[in-house]
Parts: sequence; structure tokens; C-alpha cells
Amino acid sequence: MVAQILRLKLLLLANSFRRTPWQIVGLILGLLYGVGTATFLAASLVALRFADVEVSAPIVTVFGGLSLVVFALLPLMLGIDDILDPRRFSLFGLSNTTLATGIGLASLLSVPAVVIAIVAVAQTVTWSAAPGAYGLSVAAAVLIVLTAVLSARIATTLASFLLSTRRSRDVSTLVVIVLIIAIAPLVAVLASVDWATNGIQVLTDIAAVVGWTPLGAAWAAPASAAAGAGSAALAQLAIAIVWLLVLFVVWRVLLAAVLTTPERHAQAKKYLGLGWFDRLPRTPAGAIAARSITYWIRDSRYVTSLAIIPVIPFIMVVTFVVAGMPLQALALLPVPVMCLFLSWSVHNDVSFDNSAIWLHLASSTSGRDDRWGRLLPALIVGVPLVLGGSVISAAIFGDWGVLPSLIGVSAAILLTGLGLSSILSARFPYPAVRPGDSPFSQPQAGGNTAGLIQGLSFFGILLLAAPAIVAAVLGFTINPGWHFAALGAGLVVGVVGLIAGVRIGADVYDQRSSELLAAALKN
Amino acid sequence: MDQNPAEPDASTAVAARPPARKPRVRKPAAERQKPKEVALSIRGLVKRFDSRIAVAGIDLEVPAGTLYGIVGPNGAGKTTTLSMVTGLLKPDAGSVAVHGTDVWSDPVAAKRKFGVLPDQLRLFDRLTGGQLLYYSGVLRGLDKNAVRLRSADLAAAFGLEDSLDRLVADYSAGMSKKIAIAAAMIHSPRLLVLDEPFESVDPVSSANIIEILQRYAKAGGTVVLSSHTMNLIERVCDSVAIIVNGSVLAQGRMADVRAGSTLEERFVELAGGRRAAEGMEWLHKFSD
Repeated sequence: MVAQILRLKLLLLANSFRRTPWQIVGLILGLLYGVGTATFLAASLVALRFADVEVSAPIVTVFGGLSLVVFALLPLMLGIDDILDPRRFSLFGLSNTTLATGIGLASLLSVPAVVIAIVAVAQTVTWSAAPGAYGLSVAAAVLIVLTAVLSARIATTLASFLLSTRRSRDVSTLVVIVLIIAIAPLVAVLASVDWATNGIQVLTDIAAVVGWTPLGAAWAAPASAAAGAGSAALAQLAIAIVWLLVLFVVWRVLLAAVLTTPERHAQAKKYLGLGWFDRLPRTPAGAIAARSITYWIRDSRYVTSLAIIPVIPFIMVVTFVVAGMPLQALALLPVPVMCLFLSWSVHNDVSFDNSAIWLHLASSTSGRDDRWGRLLPALIVGVPLVLGGSVISAAIFGDWGVLPSLIGVSAAILLTGLGLSSILSARFPYPAVRPGDSPFSQPQAGGNTAGLIQGLSFFGILLLAAPAIVAAVLGFTINPGWHFAALGAGLVVGVVGLIAGVRIGADVYDQRSSELLAAALKN
Repeated sequence: MDQNPAEPDASTAVAARPPARKPRVRKPAAERQKPKEVALSIRGLVKRFDSRIAVAGIDLEVPAGTLYGIVGPNGAGKTTTLSMVTGLLKPDAGSVAVHGTDVWSDPVAAKRKFGVLPDQLRLFDRLTGGQLLYYSGVLRGLDKNAVRLRSADLAAAFGLEDSLDRLVADYSAGMSKKIAIAAAMIHSPRLLVLDEPFESVDPVSSANIIEILQRYAKAGGTVVLSSHTMNLIERVCDSVAIIVNGSVLAQGRMADVRAGSTLEERFVELAGGRRAAEGMEWLHKFSD
């Protein structure tokens, strides 16, 4: 039976190549990425063979432990499409141990598992100079691979079980965003360490702790042996073995629990009244705008992309500060960057509706109403952002003379961006995450167009806003009078771009409305 | 349902005829003077998906004021046909007219005349039931007060009063179906095109919906609905079309199509694909 589950997994892998050419290209890219990562890590580990034990030991232990953490957390952050969900086997009457072993072993047949296997083998090369350490490293390699795969397996099963309700999925996306924000200062702290002189010392301190945790023990055991600490090495190996056994028991218990627990159902929440529909005009455009705003607030796909928008300039500023740029100049950065991502975020808005767009077609909604309705929430957020944000930025910068430039550039980016998005979302919808799926999951029907359209819209916005940007740069370098030219250029280009974009987008929408539904159905 | 006295004989309805000015055969002469207009006329409708022909030239004529059933096996082309009728899917050939207005050359005027329940398409399910009804109504050009009044009526009729404040995403399959039917009706169209309206709807709600539809037809509205449930179609519909492999095999008044047997028997006979339950003796020897 274990062999049959393994064969099933192989068959599923083979079948993933029997799809459309572009999906295969995506798969091959994924494989190349995996192999590339593995090669880089393996080469580094082989190179460490020629370094002193004092250098190689902490590096292997710290980064090894980190790799196991990443391996376990990855399935929680990425979308979960668990093709070997234990529940799918629940009606075949298999014993829990058979199923646990079968699914556990089948998990070895995946790209990430192959990557960690290559890394684990390379780790034996690192310690091949000393026979005792080498022997331990072979045992450690087996432990590392099994521990990684089993912890990923447990994480996947737990995640697909806990995140089975809509609301818990919505919450999980916010958790990921908070994590990203939390990691940024950590990166800044790490970046502030003077690695060239103190690096190894810092790593040694960390390794002294990590090496005795279950995740680092298997990596640390051969390192300790190579350093001559035989008893420590054996103790660490024992920790790793016990941890693997614990994981298997947990996996076995979890599997039994999942198989006999009904799917979770969330309590439905009540929303009184019509909400935004009451606050906006009772025209089709007003209703579409109210619907969009409601989705921006309620749908985790929108919430995620909106919540990311202030995070991006924050990370940029942290990065530039670490790189040594003055904070004062960086004050000018956030508002235009946020405008760029805000206007860019609606360039595939129609695809987010998926097939629900039929309602607009069946009621022959005009392109104008549809376009303006979808843009309104971005304008409601964007216009105060441009005005208020520019004033705050100029205050921090300490020179009110730059205010016209800031407003001009931000307005140009926001408004032309919305105009361009209006055209692109009607003309080139590409598969998006489906309603109710995790915002971090990949759309099922991956396409070649997605990357192209994303790039085109992104640089298209910058190109259209170029007059204002150029004038602003001249204001800083040549003559402050140019700041007012930037304001004028930005407002004119922005308003013209917005109106023209909406008009063209509306025509495209009217002509292509039934193609829009056909495109959504392919998603 | 009582036979609608004003219904023309549709059993001979074919593509070449001008909209329904047919002599009436079943009813006394006194009632003949006001022939029913054609609510929906489908001519030579064709749709291919790559090499597969999903709809191979369908002609149908649906008289106003009737409940018209469309039945067919899985994959027969019912949903494809209804999608083209409602302007959601572009036909490769043929035309569709709703009360004389062509759906594909004058979509705005035509679409105003019908309400749609598509099968297998999503709803804007992050809206509450009340918001979805409001949204559908306003997109159809209703004003706020009309929408409020009708939403309340529809919610009461479909038994959704307690659910209007909950997200449609949290509805059961049957409730989603009911709110979608309610949304299709809110702008009081002349024609309702309902694809699988009774799927996963409980019997009590089905009976309510049928009663609503029958009263609607009596007032002059027309309903075209597809279903797998033959009994229900036979009981409810005045006329029926049987579609198999993208072609109409039989159409007309229920009694004529049934031709003495039940609709189900007639359907199985026309659709073919019934296999004698021979072989499989191993199924009768249990493995433990």
C-alpha cells in the first residue's frame, strides 16, 4: 500500500507535465529555480570543506537550522493545495500507520524535498576530512531530509485543516503581513553587524544555542565531531533522532485526528444594513463603487494588496537607511511609491470578480459605469494620500518648496496609473487568485501574459508620469521654479490620462464584454 | 398547473415562422382571437468549442405566458444554449430575439427584458444577501425605494428574511440559488431564463418558487427553465424541449411531447444511452 501511494505521487507529478505548454514552462522554471538554489547551497557547503572548523561549524549549523524553519513555514505562507491530503484517503479503509508512512514517504518526491536532499548530501562533503565527523554527517543527512519533509507535511496538514474556513484564511494573510513587517527591523539589525570582522563571532554565539535545538542538532552533530567534541556530537545526534520520532508520532496522531474530524465551519457574521451602498449614489456607477469598496474591506485578496502598499516604502526606506542614505531625502519617497502601487493594484480588477462579472453583462452595465465604479475606491484612498501625504513628507523634508513637486508627481502617477489600469483591466485580464482562495496562492491557470501585463502596466505608469518626474528632478538640481512646473505637468497629465484612460477602457469594455466572461471562465 | 387557455400550439414551431400568429387548435373558437406573442425566439443557434460542437443548430419558439422546460442529459448543451440566449456567450451562428428584440444586435434593450439565473457562475458572494439584491436592482436601473420594497418582498417569498444580513459566501448551496433567483426577478422582467433553478433547493422552497413562477406566468410573464428532474418539469411546465447532443429532438406542448407515456420514459427513449443492467455479477458477491 505504501508503494501504491508512492506510485500515485509519481503519477501526479508526471501528469503535471501533461498540461498546456505554458504551465509546463512554469513548472520547468520552478524546477530550475529549485535546482539552482540547491546547486548554490551545495557549492557553498563543498567550499566550506576547505575552511577551518571554527568557520564552517557555525555557518552550517545556523543556516542549516534556518533552512529547516523555512521548510516548515513555507507551506503555511504559500497557498496550500495539498494533493496528498490525508482526508482524500479516508474512504479506502487504510490503517493509520500505513497511511502515515505512505504519505510521509511520498512527500519525499517533491521539488523542495529534492533540494533539501541535495543540500544534506553536500553537507557530508563538508565534513569528509575527518572520518568520525563524516560518519556522523551521513546519519545526519538522513535525519535532516526526513525531519524537513515530515515537518513540512505536518505544517501542510495543520494549515489545510485550520485554514479550511473562509474567515481563518482571511486572518492568516494578515498574520503573514505582520511577519513581513516584523522581519524588516530584524534584517536591519543583522545588516548593521560588521560581518567582515565580527561575523564569525556572531554566528558562533548563535550556533551555540541553535545547535542544541531540535532544528539545528542534526547539522551541529558532525560539526561538533569535527571540532573534537565527541560526546557533544553524540548528544546532538540523539536530540535529532528523538525529534524525528516525536515528529512521526505527532504526524501519526494528527493524521488520525484529521481523518475523523469533520471540516470546520465558521460562525456566520451579521452585517446590518446596506453599508456602503447606502452612502453612495444609487446609480449603477455608485453601486459598483460601493461593491468595490466593500470588497476592498472584506475580501482578503484586496486587503492583502492594500496592506502591502504602506509596507513597500517602509522596507525601501529601511533598506536605503541601512545603505547609508540620509533620512531627510528619503522622506520624499513614500508618497509617490504608494501612489504607484495603489494605482497599479487595480490593473487586473475584472479578473478578481471571476465569473461573477456575468451580473454586469446580464444587466448590460455600461463600460463607463463599470470603469468609474471600480476606480472610485482607489481615488477615495489616493487623493487624500496625495494631498496629506505630500504635506507630511514636505514637513519631514524640511523645505516647503518641494511640496508642489511632490503633489505633481504623486498625482500624475496616481491618476495616469488609474487611467492605464482602466484600459488594461478591460483589454488584458489575466488569471488572478480566485475568490475565496488564499491571496498568496498561485492562480490555477497560470499564463504567459501575467508577467508581461504586470511589467507593462508598471513601467507604463512611470513613463506616463515622466514629464512631472523630470520637472521635479530639474527643480532639485537646476532651479526651484521647476517645482511649480512639476505640479502643473503632473495635474494636467494626470487628469487627461485618467479621463482618456477611462474613456478608452469603457469602449474596450463595451466591445469585449462577453470575452471578459469567457476569460474569467478559463481562470 | 392549469393549462393556460391562451397558449398557442407550439408543437410545430419551427424556425421559418414569423413570430407566433398560429391558429389555435385546442381551445374553443371564442378564445382564439388573441394569439400570444412569442416571448423568446431562437433560430439556428450554433456554438463550437474548438472541434467539439456544443450546440448544433437549435430552433425554439417560446410563447409568452408559459413555463417552458428544457431537459437533456449531462453535456447536451442546455447551459451553452441558455448562455447564448442571455447574451453571456457569443454564438457562432444564429439569432436570439426576446419579444422581438435581437439579443446580439441590440443587447441593451433585449437584456432589459429578461432576468437570468446562470448555472455554475459565481455570485458577488462577499456581499450580504441584501446587498446583492440591491446591487442587482440598481444595475438594472431600479431606484432605491423600489429596490428596498422588492428586496423585502422577495426575501419573504423565498424565506430569506433572516439571512439578508449574512454574506452570500456563508450561504448553503440552496440558499445561494434562492438569492440568485430573487436577484434575477428584482427588475420585474418579461422573461426569466433560469438554468437549473431547483438544484440543491429543498422541497418546500421548490414548491414556493414554483408557485411564484406560476403566478408570474399567469400574469403574462414567461419562464424558460432547465432541469434534470423530469417529474418536476412534467408537473410544472406547459411546454418542453428535449435537447440531446446539441440538437432539439422533441419540442412542443407537454402532452404532445409525452405522447402517452411519462416525460421521463419519453426522455430516456429519445436520449438513448440506457443500458441493460447485465453483467457485473461480481457486484452481487460481497468481498467480505
